[in-house]
Amino acid sequence: MTMQNDRLLAYFMILPVVAAVLAFVIGPTYNVGTLSLTKIVMGQERGFGTFSNFTALTSDPVFWLVMKNTAIWILGGTLMCVLVGLGVGTFLAIDSRMTTGLRALILLPWVLPDVVTAMAWKWMLHGQVGIIGQTLESTGLTEETISFLGDPKLVMWTLVVVLIWRKMPLVALILCAAIRSVPDDQIEAARMDGATAFERFRFVVIPNIAFSLTAVTVISMIWITAEFALPWIMTGGGPANASQIMATYIYQQSFEFFNWGVASAMSVINLVMLASIVGLYLYINRRSWASEGSK
Amino acid sequence: MNETPRTLYWLALSLVGLVIAIYILFPIFWLFLASFKTQAELAALPISFWPEAPTLDAYKALFSPTHQKGQLLDWPRLIGNSFFIAISSTILVVFFGTLAGYAFARLHFPGRDLILGGLLISRMFQGAALLLPTYRLMSMIGLQDSPIGLVLLYSAFGLPFATWIIASSLREIPRELEESAMMDGASRLQSMALVVLPLATPALITAAMWHFVGAWSEFAFASILLESNENKTVTIGLASFVELFTLEFQFVGAAATIVALPIMLVFFFGQRYFTRGLLAGAVKG
Repeated sequence: MTMQNDRLLAYFMILPVVAAVLAFVIGPTYNVGTLSLTKIVMGQERGFGTFSNFTALTSDPVFWLVMKNTAIWILGGTLMCVLVGLGVGTFLAIDSRMTTGLRALILLPWVLPDVVTAMAWKWMLHGQVGIIGQTLESTGLTEETISFLGDPKLVMWTLVVVLIWRKMPLVALILCAAIRSVPDDQIEAARMDGATAFERFRFVVIPNIAFSLTAVTVISMIWITAEFALPWIMTGGGPANASQIMATYIYQQSFEFFNWGVASAMSVINLVMLASIVGLYLYINRRSWASEGSK
Repeated sequence: MNETPRTLYWLALSLVGLVIAIYILFPIFWLFLASFKTQAELAALPISFWPEAPTLDAYKALFSPTHQKGQLLDWPRLIGNSFFIAISSTILVVFFGTLAGYAFARLHFPGRDLILGGLLISRMFQGAALLLPTYRLMSMIGLQDSPIGLVLLYSAFGLPFATWIIASSLREIPRELEESAMMDGASRLQSMALVVLPLATPALITAAMWHFVGAWSEFAFASILLESNENKTVTIGLASFVELFTLEFQFVGAAATIVALPIMLVFFFGQRYFTRGLLAGAVKG
Protein backbone atom coordinates (compact mmCIF):
# COMPACT_ATOMS: atom_id res chain seq x y z
CA MET A 1 0.00 0.00 0.00
CA THR A 2 2.62 2.56 1.04
CA MET A 3 4.92 1.26 -1.71
CA GLN A 4 2.23 1.97 -4.26
CA ASN A 5 1.53 5.38 -2.74
CA ASP A 6 5.22 6.20 -2.87
CA ARG A 7 5.34 5.22 -6.50
CA LEU A 8 2.41 7.47 -7.39
CA LEU A 9 3.88 10.30 -5.35
CA ALA A 10 7.20 9.88 -7.14
CA TYR A 11 5.66 10.10 -10.60
CA PHE A 12 3.69 13.12 -9.49
CA MET A 13 6.85 14.81 -8.20
CA ILE A 14 8.92 14.24 -11.32
CA LEU A 15 6.06 15.07 -13.69
CA PRO A 16 6.81 18.82 -14.09
CA VAL A 17 10.48 18.20 -14.92
CA VAL A 18 9.77 15.39 -17.36
CA ALA A 19 6.95 17.35 -19.02
CA ALA A 20 9.12 20.46 -19.38
CA VAL A 21 11.96 18.51 -20.99
CA LEU A 22 9.55 16.66 -23.28
CA ALA A 23 7.91 19.90 -24.37
CA PHE A 24 10.97 22.10 -24.81
CA VAL A 25 13.82 19.71 -25.65
CA ILE A 26 12.58 16.34 -26.91
CA GLY A 27 9.60 17.77 -28.81
CA PRO A 28 11.62 20.41 -30.68
CA THR A 29 14.32 17.81 -31.45
CA TYR A 30 11.70 15.60 -33.07
CA ASN A 31 10.12 18.58 -34.79
CA VAL A 32 13.35 19.72 -36.44
CA GLY A 33 13.88 16.14 -37.62
CA THR A 34 10.53 15.98 -39.41
CA LEU A 35 10.96 19.53 -40.73
CA SER A 36 14.26 18.54 -42.33
CA LEU A 37 12.42 15.84 -44.31
CA THR A 38 9.64 18.20 -45.39
CA LYS A 39 9.65 20.14 -48.61
CA ILE A 40 9.28 23.83 -47.78
CA VAL A 41 8.42 26.45 -50.36
CA MET A 42 8.21 30.08 -49.28
CA GLY A 43 7.63 29.14 -45.65
CA GLN A 44 4.81 26.72 -46.60
CA GLU A 45 5.17 23.02 -45.90
CA ARG A 46 4.64 21.08 -49.14
CA GLY A 47 4.80 17.39 -48.43
CA PHE A 48 6.76 15.09 -46.15
CA GLY A 49 9.37 12.52 -47.15
CA THR A 50 12.08 14.18 -49.18
CA PHE A 51 15.82 14.60 -48.90
CA SER A 52 15.75 17.77 -50.97
CA ASN A 53 16.71 19.90 -47.96
CA PHE A 54 19.86 17.88 -47.46
CA THR A 55 20.81 17.97 -51.13
CA ALA A 56 20.13 21.73 -51.17
CA LEU A 57 22.36 22.08 -48.11
CA THR A 58 25.29 20.06 -49.42
CA SER A 59 25.15 21.73 -52.83
CA ASP A 60 25.51 25.14 -51.16
CA PRO A 61 29.19 26.01 -51.76
CA VAL A 62 29.28 27.54 -48.28
CA PHE A 63 28.45 24.13 -46.73
CA TRP A 64 31.94 22.67 -47.04
CA LEU A 65 33.49 25.91 -45.79
CA VAL A 66 31.18 25.72 -42.76
CA MET A 67 32.21 22.11 -42.14
CA LYS A 68 35.89 23.02 -42.37
CA ASN A 69 35.43 25.99 -40.01
CA THR A 70 33.43 23.86 -37.59
CA ALA A 71 36.24 21.29 -37.58
CA ILE A 72 38.77 24.01 -36.72
CA TRP A 73 36.40 25.38 -34.08
CA ILE A 74 35.63 22.07 -32.36
CA LEU A 75 38.79 20.00 -32.89
CA GLY A 76 41.27 22.90 -32.80
CA GLY A 77 39.44 24.51 -29.89
CA THR A 78 39.26 21.28 -27.89
CA LEU A 79 42.89 20.38 -28.47
CA MET A 80 44.11 23.85 -27.50
CA CYS A 81 41.82 24.07 -24.46
CA VAL A 82 43.06 20.73 -23.16
CA LEU A 83 46.75 21.46 -23.84
CA VAL A 84 46.67 24.94 -22.31
CA GLY A 85 44.38 23.67 -19.53
CA LEU A 86 46.85 20.87 -18.73
CA GLY A 87 49.70 23.37 -18.50
CA VAL A 88 47.77 25.84 -16.34
CA GLY A 89 46.25 23.02 -14.26
CA THR A 90 49.70 21.57 -13.54
CA PHE A 91 50.85 24.99 -12.39
CA LEU A 92 47.76 25.51 -10.23
CA ALA A 93 48.33 22.14 -8.57
CA ILE A 94 51.50 23.48 -6.90
CA ASP A 95 50.95 24.16 -3.19
CA SER A 96 51.20 27.89 -2.57
CA ARG A 97 49.01 30.68 -1.31
CA MET A 98 49.17 32.33 -4.71
CA THR A 99 47.91 29.28 -6.63
CA THR A 100 45.03 28.94 -4.14
CA GLY A 101 43.99 32.49 -4.95
CA LEU A 102 44.38 31.88 -8.67
CA ARG A 103 42.25 28.76 -8.53
CA ALA A 104 39.34 30.96 -7.41
CA LEU A 105 40.06 33.80 -9.83
CA ILE A 106 40.56 31.65 -12.90
CA LEU A 107 36.87 30.78 -13.15
CA LEU A 108 35.94 34.37 -13.95
CA PRO A 109 36.04 33.93 -17.76
CA TRP A 110 33.89 30.84 -17.37
CA VAL A 111 31.07 32.59 -15.50
CA LEU A 112 30.98 35.87 -17.43
CA PRO A 113 28.14 36.07 -19.99
CA ASP A 114 29.51 35.17 -23.43
CA VAL A 115 28.09 38.41 -24.83
CA VAL A 116 30.39 40.32 -22.44
CA THR A 117 33.37 38.14 -23.39
CA ALA A 118 32.67 38.71 -27.08
CA MET A 119 32.56 42.48 -26.59
CA ALA A 120 35.72 42.57 -24.47
CA TRP A 121 37.73 40.70 -27.12
CA LYS A 122 36.14 42.61 -29.97
CA TRP A 123 37.44 45.77 -28.33
CA MET A 124 40.96 44.39 -27.84
CA LEU A 125 41.02 43.10 -31.43
CA HIS A 126 39.51 46.26 -32.95
CA GLY A 127 40.89 46.78 -36.45
CA GLN A 128 41.91 50.42 -35.94
CA VAL A 129 42.32 51.14 -32.25
CA GLY A 130 42.49 47.62 -30.75
CA ILE A 131 45.20 47.31 -28.12
CA ILE A 132 46.53 44.00 -29.48
CA GLY A 133 47.01 45.18 -33.06
CA GLN A 134 48.39 48.54 -31.92
CA THR A 135 50.86 46.96 -29.48
CA LEU A 136 52.13 44.55 -32.12
CA GLU A 137 52.65 47.42 -34.53
CA SER A 138 54.25 49.89 -32.11
CA THR A 139 56.71 47.29 -30.84
CA GLY A 140 57.68 46.60 -34.44
CA LEU A 141 56.51 42.99 -34.50
CA THR A 142 54.18 43.70 -37.41
CA GLU A 143 54.53 46.34 -40.09
CA GLU A 144 50.93 47.45 -40.07
CA THR A 145 47.95 47.02 -37.77
CA ILE A 146 46.50 43.55 -38.25
CA SER A 147 42.73 43.29 -38.43
CA PHE A 148 42.36 39.92 -36.71
CA LEU A 149 38.61 39.70 -37.19
CA GLY A 150 38.63 41.22 -40.68
CA ASP A 151 41.19 38.90 -42.29
CA PRO A 152 39.60 35.70 -43.68
CA LYS A 153 42.84 33.79 -43.09
CA LEU A 154 43.12 34.78 -39.43
CA VAL A 155 39.56 35.09 -38.22
CA MET A 156 38.84 31.43 -37.42
CA TRP A 157 42.02 30.97 -35.39
CA THR A 158 41.44 34.28 -33.66
CA LEU A 159 38.05 32.97 -32.52
CA VAL A 160 39.74 29.81 -31.25
CA VAL A 161 42.10 31.96 -29.14
CA VAL A 162 39.12 33.73 -27.56
CA LEU A 163 37.45 30.35 -27.04
CA ILE A 164 40.51 29.15 -25.11
CA TRP A 165 40.23 32.15 -22.79
CA ARG A 166 36.61 31.30 -22.10
CA LYS A 167 36.68 27.49 -21.84
CA MET A 168 40.21 26.62 -20.67
CA PRO A 169 39.74 27.67 -16.99
CA LEU A 170 37.38 24.84 -16.10
CA VAL A 171 39.55 22.30 -17.95
CA ALA A 172 42.52 23.59 -15.93
CA LEU A 173 40.59 23.36 -12.67
CA ILE A 174 39.36 19.81 -13.27
CA LEU A 175 42.85 18.64 -14.26
CA CYS A 176 44.32 20.51 -11.28
CA ALA A 177 41.99 18.60 -8.95
CA ALA A 178 42.97 15.33 -10.66
CA ILE A 179 46.70 16.08 -10.38
CA ARG A 180 46.36 17.00 -6.71
CA SER A 181 44.76 13.64 -6.00
CA VAL A 182 47.73 11.69 -7.43
CA PRO A 183 49.18 9.78 -4.43
CA ASP A 184 52.28 11.53 -3.06
CA ASP A 185 54.10 8.26 -2.36
CA GLN A 186 54.05 7.31 -6.06
CA ILE A 187 55.72 10.59 -6.99
CA GLU A 188 58.15 10.23 -4.09
CA ALA A 189 59.03 6.68 -5.16
CA ALA A 190 59.72 7.86 -8.71
CA ARG A 191 61.91 10.64 -7.33
CA MET A 192 63.90 8.10 -5.27
CA ASP A 193 64.41 6.05 -8.41
CA GLY A 194 65.99 9.11 -10.00
CA ALA A 195 63.14 10.20 -12.31
CA THR A 196 63.43 13.79 -13.53
CA ALA A 197 60.56 16.24 -13.09
CA PHE A 198 59.44 15.59 -16.67
CA GLU A 199 59.64 11.83 -16.25
CA ARG A 200 57.60 12.03 -13.04
CA PHE A 201 54.99 14.05 -14.89
CA ARG A 202 54.94 11.82 -17.95
CA PHE A 203 55.08 8.40 -16.27
CA VAL A 204 53.39 8.99 -12.89
CA VAL A 205 51.04 11.98 -13.15
CA ILE A 206 49.69 11.44 -16.69
CA PRO A 207 48.70 7.75 -16.20
CA ASN A 208 46.98 8.71 -12.95
CA ILE A 209 44.91 11.48 -14.54
CA ALA A 210 44.27 9.67 -17.83
CA PHE A 211 40.59 9.19 -17.08
CA SER A 212 39.99 12.85 -16.20
CA LEU A 213 41.98 13.90 -19.23
CA THR A 214 39.85 11.82 -21.63
CA ALA A 215 36.57 12.82 -19.98
CA VAL A 216 37.43 16.51 -20.00
CA THR A 217 38.45 16.31 -23.67
CA VAL A 218 35.09 14.89 -24.72
CA ILE A 219 33.18 17.30 -22.46
CA SER A 220 35.07 20.24 -23.98
CA MET A 221 33.89 19.10 -27.39
CA ILE A 222 30.28 19.21 -26.19
CA TRP A 223 30.74 22.67 -24.63
CA ILE A 224 32.43 24.06 -27.73
CA THR A 225 29.77 22.61 -30.06
CA ALA A 226 27.13 24.39 -27.96
CA GLU A 227 28.91 27.76 -28.01
CA PHE A 228 27.05 30.16 -30.27
CA ALA A 229 26.98 33.73 -28.93
CA LEU A 230 30.75 34.18 -28.92
CA PRO A 231 31.40 33.67 -32.66
CA TRP A 232 28.05 35.18 -33.67
CA ILE A 233 28.63 38.48 -31.86
CA MET A 234 32.32 38.73 -32.69
CA THR A 235 32.05 38.13 -36.44
CA GLY A 236 28.50 37.16 -37.42
CA GLY A 237 30.14 34.44 -39.53
CA GLY A 238 32.10 36.92 -41.60
CA PRO A 239 34.01 38.21 -43.36
CA ALA A 240 32.42 36.46 -46.36
CA ASN A 241 31.59 33.29 -44.35
CA ALA A 242 35.24 32.90 -43.35
CA SER A 243 34.16 32.23 -39.75
CA GLN A 244 30.77 30.67 -40.46
CA ILE A 245 30.34 27.58 -38.27
CA MET A 246 27.35 25.22 -37.91
CA ALA A 247 25.73 27.19 -35.10
CA THR A 248 25.99 30.58 -36.82
CA TYR A 249 24.92 29.07 -40.15
CA ILE A 250 21.78 27.59 -38.58
CA TYR A 251 20.94 30.93 -36.97
CA GLN A 252 21.53 32.92 -40.14
CA GLN A 253 19.63 30.55 -42.42
CA SER A 254 16.70 30.37 -39.95
CA PHE A 255 16.25 33.97 -38.93
CA GLU A 256 17.94 36.15 -41.54
CA PHE A 257 17.39 34.24 -44.79
CA PHE A 258 14.32 32.21 -43.66
CA ASN A 259 15.66 29.10 -45.43
CA TRP A 260 13.99 26.77 -42.96
CA GLY A 261 14.60 23.66 -45.06
CA VAL A 262 18.34 24.13 -45.22
CA ALA A 263 18.47 25.31 -41.60
CA SER A 264 16.63 22.23 -40.33
CA ALA A 265 18.86 19.92 -42.39
CA MET A 266 21.94 21.52 -40.83
CA SER A 267 20.32 21.27 -37.37
CA VAL A 268 19.88 17.53 -37.87
CA ILE A 269 23.53 17.13 -38.90
CA ASN A 270 24.46 19.12 -35.80
CA LEU A 271 22.30 16.87 -33.58
CA VAL A 272 23.76 13.69 -35.08
CA MET A 273 27.26 15.03 -34.45
CA LEU A 274 26.36 15.94 -30.86
CA ALA A 275 24.78 12.52 -30.34
CA SER A 276 27.98 10.79 -31.40
CA ILE A 277 30.08 12.92 -29.04
CA VAL A 278 27.59 12.27 -26.21
CA GLY A 279 27.70 8.55 -27.05
CA LEU A 280 31.48 8.64 -26.83
CA TYR A 281 31.19 10.41 -23.49
CA LEU A 282 28.75 7.83 -22.10
CA TYR A 283 31.04 5.04 -23.29
CA ILE A 284 34.07 6.57 -21.57
CA ASN A 285 32.06 7.27 -18.43
CA ARG A 286 30.30 3.89 -18.32
CA ARG A 287 31.91 2.96 -15.01
CA SER A 288 30.66 6.05 -13.20
CA TRP A 289 27.17 5.71 -14.71
CA ALA A 290 27.01 2.14 -13.47
CA SER A 291 27.96 3.19 -9.95
CA GLU A 292 25.39 5.98 -10.10
CA GLY A 293 22.68 3.45 -10.79
CA SER A 294 23.62 1.14 -7.96
CA LYS A 295 23.24 3.86 -5.32
CA MET B 1 73.49 27.67 -0.13
CA ASN B 2 69.94 26.47 -0.53
CA GLU B 3 68.64 30.05 -0.46
CA THR B 4 69.31 31.15 -4.03
CA PRO B 5 67.48 28.30 -5.81
CA ARG B 6 64.56 28.76 -3.46
CA THR B 7 64.33 32.50 -4.20
CA LEU B 8 64.61 31.75 -7.90
CA TYR B 9 61.88 29.14 -7.65
CA TRP B 10 59.66 31.58 -5.80
CA LEU B 11 60.32 34.28 -8.40
CA ALA B 12 59.53 31.96 -11.30
CA LEU B 13 56.35 30.79 -9.59
CA SER B 14 55.18 34.37 -8.97
CA LEU B 15 56.00 35.41 -12.49
CA VAL B 16 53.94 32.60 -14.05
CA GLY B 17 51.12 33.34 -11.59
CA LEU B 18 51.19 37.01 -12.49
CA VAL B 19 51.06 36.27 -16.21
CA ILE B 20 48.03 33.99 -15.71
CA ALA B 21 46.28 36.58 -13.52
CA ILE B 22 46.83 39.33 -16.11
CA TYR B 23 45.67 37.02 -18.91
CA ILE B 24 42.46 36.28 -17.00
CA LEU B 25 41.69 39.82 -15.88
CA PHE B 26 42.97 42.09 -18.62
CA PRO B 27 40.27 41.63 -21.33
CA ILE B 28 37.45 42.47 -18.97
CA PHE B 29 39.42 45.21 -17.18
CA TRP B 30 40.29 46.88 -20.50
CA LEU B 31 36.62 47.10 -21.52
CA PHE B 32 35.78 48.40 -18.02
CA LEU B 33 38.37 51.19 -18.47
CA ALA B 34 36.85 52.12 -21.83
CA SER B 35 33.54 52.89 -20.11
CA PHE B 36 35.17 55.90 -18.37
CA LYS B 37 36.88 57.31 -21.46
CA THR B 38 35.64 60.02 -23.82
CA GLN B 39 34.82 59.40 -27.46
CA ALA B 40 37.85 61.46 -28.59
CA GLU B 41 40.17 59.48 -26.35
CA LEU B 42 38.89 56.11 -27.61
CA ALA B 43 39.44 57.09 -31.24
CA ALA B 44 42.89 58.59 -30.69
CA LEU B 45 46.25 56.96 -31.34
CA PRO B 46 48.50 56.14 -29.58
CA ILE B 47 46.21 54.40 -27.11
CA SER B 48 46.03 55.94 -23.63
CA PHE B 49 45.95 53.34 -20.90
CA TRP B 50 44.20 55.13 -18.02
CA PRO B 51 41.25 57.44 -18.80
CA GLU B 52 42.67 60.98 -19.13
CA ALA B 53 39.51 62.65 -17.86
CA PRO B 54 37.37 59.90 -16.28
CA THR B 55 33.69 60.47 -16.97
CA LEU B 56 30.44 58.71 -16.14
CA ASP B 57 28.70 60.07 -19.23
CA ALA B 58 28.29 56.61 -20.80
CA TYR B 59 26.51 55.26 -17.72
CA LYS B 60 24.31 58.37 -17.58
CA ALA B 61 23.38 57.86 -21.23
CA LEU B 62 22.30 54.28 -20.55
CA PHE B 63 20.18 55.21 -17.55
CA SER B 64 18.46 58.32 -18.85
CA PRO B 65 16.30 57.87 -21.94
CA THR B 66 18.70 59.18 -24.60
CA HIS B 67 18.95 58.55 -28.29
CA GLN B 68 22.25 57.37 -29.71
CA LYS B 69 22.38 57.17 -33.49
CA GLY B 70 18.60 57.25 -33.60
CA GLN B 71 18.16 54.36 -31.19
CA LEU B 72 16.64 54.79 -27.76
CA LEU B 73 18.77 53.42 -24.96
CA ASP B 74 16.46 52.26 -22.18
CA TRP B 75 18.62 50.19 -19.89
CA PRO B 76 16.47 50.35 -16.73
CA ARG B 77 13.83 48.51 -18.74
CA LEU B 78 16.31 45.90 -20.07
CA ILE B 79 17.69 45.31 -16.58
CA GLY B 80 14.17 44.93 -15.17
CA ASN B 81 13.26 42.39 -17.85
CA SER B 82 16.42 40.37 -17.29
CA PHE B 83 15.87 40.27 -13.53
CA PHE B 84 12.24 39.27 -13.99
CA ILE B 85 13.09 36.40 -16.34
CA ALA B 86 16.13 35.16 -14.41
CA ILE B 87 14.51 35.32 -10.96
CA SER B 88 11.15 33.83 -12.00
CA SER B 89 12.75 30.89 -13.74
CA THR B 90 15.15 30.38 -10.82
CA ILE B 91 12.17 30.09 -8.45
CA LEU B 92 10.45 27.59 -10.76
CA VAL B 93 13.61 25.55 -11.21
CA VAL B 94 14.41 25.33 -7.50
CA PHE B 95 10.82 24.46 -6.58
CA PHE B 96 10.20 21.76 -9.18
CA GLY B 97 13.84 20.62 -9.05
CA THR B 98 13.47 19.99 -5.33
CA LEU B 99 10.28 17.97 -5.82
CA ALA B 100 11.84 15.83 -8.52
CA GLY B 101 15.21 15.66 -6.80
CA TYR B 102 13.53 14.25 -3.69
CA ALA B 103 11.73 11.60 -5.72
CA PHE B 104 14.94 10.55 -7.49
CA ALA B 105 16.90 10.42 -4.26
CA ARG B 106 14.42 8.84 -1.88
CA LEU B 107 11.59 7.01 -3.62
CA HIS B 108 11.69 3.78 -5.58
CA PHE B 109 9.89 3.60 -8.88
CA PRO B 110 10.40 1.74 -12.14
CA GLY B 111 12.66 3.57 -14.60
CA ARG B 112 14.13 5.89 -11.99
CA ASP B 113 17.78 5.79 -13.05
CA LEU B 114 16.91 5.69 -16.72
CA ILE B 115 14.74 8.81 -16.47
CA LEU B 116 17.37 10.72 -14.48
CA GLY B 117 20.05 9.72 -16.99
CA GLY B 118 17.83 10.76 -19.88
CA LEU B 119 17.18 14.15 -18.28
CA LEU B 120 20.90 14.75 -17.86
CA ILE B 121 21.68 13.73 -21.42
CA SER B 122 18.97 16.06 -22.73
CA ARG B 123 21.05 18.95 -21.32
CA MET B 124 23.79 18.26 -23.83
CA PHE B 125 21.46 18.84 -26.78
CA GLN B 126 20.40 22.36 -25.88
CA GLY B 127 22.13 24.28 -28.61
CA ALA B 128 21.80 25.95 -31.97
CA ALA B 129 19.98 22.93 -33.42
CA LEU B 130 16.95 23.70 -31.23
CA LEU B 131 16.67 27.38 -32.23
CA LEU B 132 14.37 26.92 -35.22
CA PRO B 133 11.95 24.35 -33.72
CA THR B 134 11.77 26.37 -30.48
CA TYR B 135 10.85 29.47 -32.45
CA ARG B 136 8.14 27.50 -34.27
CA LEU B 137 6.84 26.00 -31.02
CA MET B 138 6.66 29.36 -29.28
CA SER B 139 4.90 30.99 -32.23
CA MET B 140 2.41 28.15 -32.26
CA ILE B 141 1.50 28.44 -28.58
CA GLY B 142 1.52 32.23 -28.71
CA LEU B 143 4.47 32.72 -26.34
CA GLN B 144 6.83 34.21 -28.88
CA ASP B 145 7.94 37.74 -27.90
CA SER B 146 6.83 37.07 -24.34
CA PRO B 147 8.94 37.07 -21.17
CA ILE B 148 6.73 34.24 -19.87
CA GLY B 149 7.79 32.09 -22.82
CA LEU B 150 11.44 32.59 -21.94
CA VAL B 151 10.77 31.85 -18.26
CA LEU B 152 9.26 28.49 -19.26
CA LEU B 153 12.01 27.72 -21.76
CA TYR B 154 14.86 28.55 -19.37
CA SER B 155 13.17 26.54 -16.63
CA ALA B 156 12.94 23.51 -18.92
CA PHE B 157 16.60 23.92 -19.86
CA GLY B 158 17.72 24.36 -16.26
CA LEU B 159 15.59 21.75 -14.47
CA PRO B 160 17.59 18.59 -15.27
CA PHE B 161 20.80 19.92 -13.76
CA ALA B 162 19.04 21.43 -10.72
CA THR B 163 17.19 18.15 -10.16
CA TRP B 164 20.40 16.19 -10.38
CA ILE B 165 22.41 18.42 -8.04
CA ILE B 166 19.58 18.45 -5.46
CA ALA B 167 19.09 14.68 -5.75
CA SER B 168 22.81 14.02 -5.23
CA SER B 169 22.87 16.12 -2.10
CA LEU B 170 19.67 14.56 -0.70
CA ARG B 171 21.28 11.13 -1.04
CA GLU B 172 23.93 12.24 1.45
CA ILE B 173 21.35 12.99 4.13
CA PRO B 174 20.76 9.96 6.43
CA ARG B 175 17.41 8.30 5.87
CA GLU B 176 17.06 7.67 9.61
CA LEU B 177 16.33 11.34 10.29
CA GLU B 178 13.33 11.20 8.02
CA GLU B 179 12.18 7.79 9.15
CA SER B 180 12.10 8.89 12.77
CA ALA B 181 10.05 11.96 11.85
CA MET B 182 7.59 9.74 9.99
CA MET B 183 7.52 7.37 12.96
CA ASP B 184 6.45 10.36 15.07
CA GLY B 185 3.49 10.84 12.76
CA ALA B 186 4.80 13.27 10.13
CA SER B 187 3.62 12.61 6.58
CA ARG B 188 6.20 12.14 3.85
CA LEU B 189 5.72 15.66 2.57
CA GLN B 190 5.95 17.10 6.07
CA SER B 191 9.15 15.25 6.81
CA MET B 192 10.54 16.37 3.48
CA ALA B 193 9.75 20.03 4.07
CA LEU B 194 10.66 20.21 7.76
CA VAL B 195 13.48 17.70 8.19
CA VAL B 196 15.22 17.09 4.88
CA LEU B 197 15.09 20.41 3.04
CA PRO B 198 16.71 22.52 5.77
CA LEU B 199 19.70 20.16 5.56
CA ALA B 200 19.79 20.46 1.78
CA THR B 201 19.93 24.27 1.76
CA PRO B 202 23.49 24.45 0.36
CA ALA B 203 22.45 22.36 -2.65
CA LEU B 204 19.38 24.54 -3.19
CA ILE B 205 21.58 27.65 -3.11
CA THR B 206 24.01 26.06 -5.59
CA ALA B 207 21.18 25.14 -7.94
CA ALA B 208 19.64 28.63 -7.66
CA MET B 209 22.92 30.43 -8.29
CA TRP B 210 23.74 28.28 -11.26
CA HIS B 211 20.40 28.77 -12.83
CA PHE B 212 20.35 32.51 -12.22
CA VAL B 213 23.74 32.94 -13.88
CA GLY B 214 22.70 30.89 -16.91
CA ALA B 215 19.34 32.60 -17.34
CA TRP B 216 20.79 36.11 -16.92
CA SER B 217 23.51 35.39 -19.50
CA GLU B 218 21.44 33.58 -22.12
CA PHE B 219 21.50 35.22 -25.54
CA ALA B 220 20.60 32.92 -28.46
CA PHE B 221 17.03 31.97 -27.55
CA ALA B 222 16.21 35.43 -26.17
CA SER B 223 17.38 37.02 -29.41
CA ILE B 224 15.17 34.87 -31.66
CA LEU B 225 12.09 35.07 -29.44
CA LEU B 226 11.95 38.63 -28.13
CA GLU B 227 11.09 41.16 -30.81
CA SER B 228 9.54 44.25 -29.26
CA ASN B 229 11.83 46.71 -27.50
CA GLU B 230 9.91 46.65 -24.25
CA ASN B 231 10.54 42.90 -23.82
CA LYS B 232 14.26 42.76 -24.57
CA THR B 233 16.92 41.66 -22.10
CA VAL B 234 20.37 43.04 -21.24
CA THR B 235 22.25 40.51 -23.36
CA ILE B 236 20.23 41.48 -26.45
CA GLY B 237 20.76 45.15 -25.63
CA LEU B 238 24.51 44.67 -25.38
CA ALA B 239 24.69 42.54 -28.53
CA SER B 240 22.76 45.18 -30.50
CA PHE B 241 25.66 47.57 -29.86
CA VAL B 242 27.73 45.58 -32.37
CA GLU B 243 25.82 47.19 -35.20
CA LEU B 244 25.02 50.46 -33.44
CA PHE B 245 28.54 51.38 -32.35
CA THR B 246 31.82 50.74 -34.13
CA LEU B 247 34.05 53.11 -32.17
CA GLU B 248 31.82 54.25 -29.29
CA PHE B 249 33.12 51.63 -26.89
CA GLN B 250 32.39 53.79 -23.84
CA PHE B 251 28.75 52.70 -24.18
CA VAL B 252 29.74 49.10 -24.86
CA GLY B 253 32.01 49.15 -21.79
CA ALA B 254 29.35 50.66 -19.55
CA ALA B 255 26.70 48.20 -20.75
CA ALA B 256 29.07 45.22 -20.44
CA THR B 257 29.87 46.29 -16.88
CA ILE B 258 26.15 46.35 -16.06
CA VAL B 259 25.61 42.92 -17.62
CA ALA B 260 28.62 41.43 -15.83
CA LEU B 261 27.97 42.99 -12.40
CA PRO B 262 25.23 40.66 -11.01
CA ILE B 263 27.22 37.64 -12.24
CA MET B 264 30.43 38.89 -10.60
CA LEU B 265 28.57 39.51 -7.32
CA VAL B 266 27.13 35.98 -7.35
CA PHE B 267 30.55 34.62 -8.26
CA PHE B 268 32.51 36.40 -5.54
CA PHE B 269 30.01 36.10 -2.70
CA GLY B 270 28.90 32.58 -3.49
CA GLN B 271 32.27 31.14 -4.52
CA ARG B 272 31.90 28.16 -2.20
CA TYR B 273 28.55 27.07 -3.65
CA PHE B 274 29.55 27.97 -7.14
CA THR B 275 32.68 25.85 -7.33
CA ARG B 276 30.81 22.92 -5.86
CA GLY B 277 28.23 23.09 -8.62
CA LEU B 278 30.84 23.68 -11.27
CA LEU B 279 32.89 20.60 -10.46
CA ALA B 280 29.75 18.50 -10.07
CA GLY B 281 28.35 19.86 -13.32
CA ALA B 282 31.59 19.22 -15.15
CA VAL B 283 31.56 15.55 -14.29
CA LYS B 284 28.07 15.15 -15.70
CA GLY B 285 28.49 17.50 -18.64
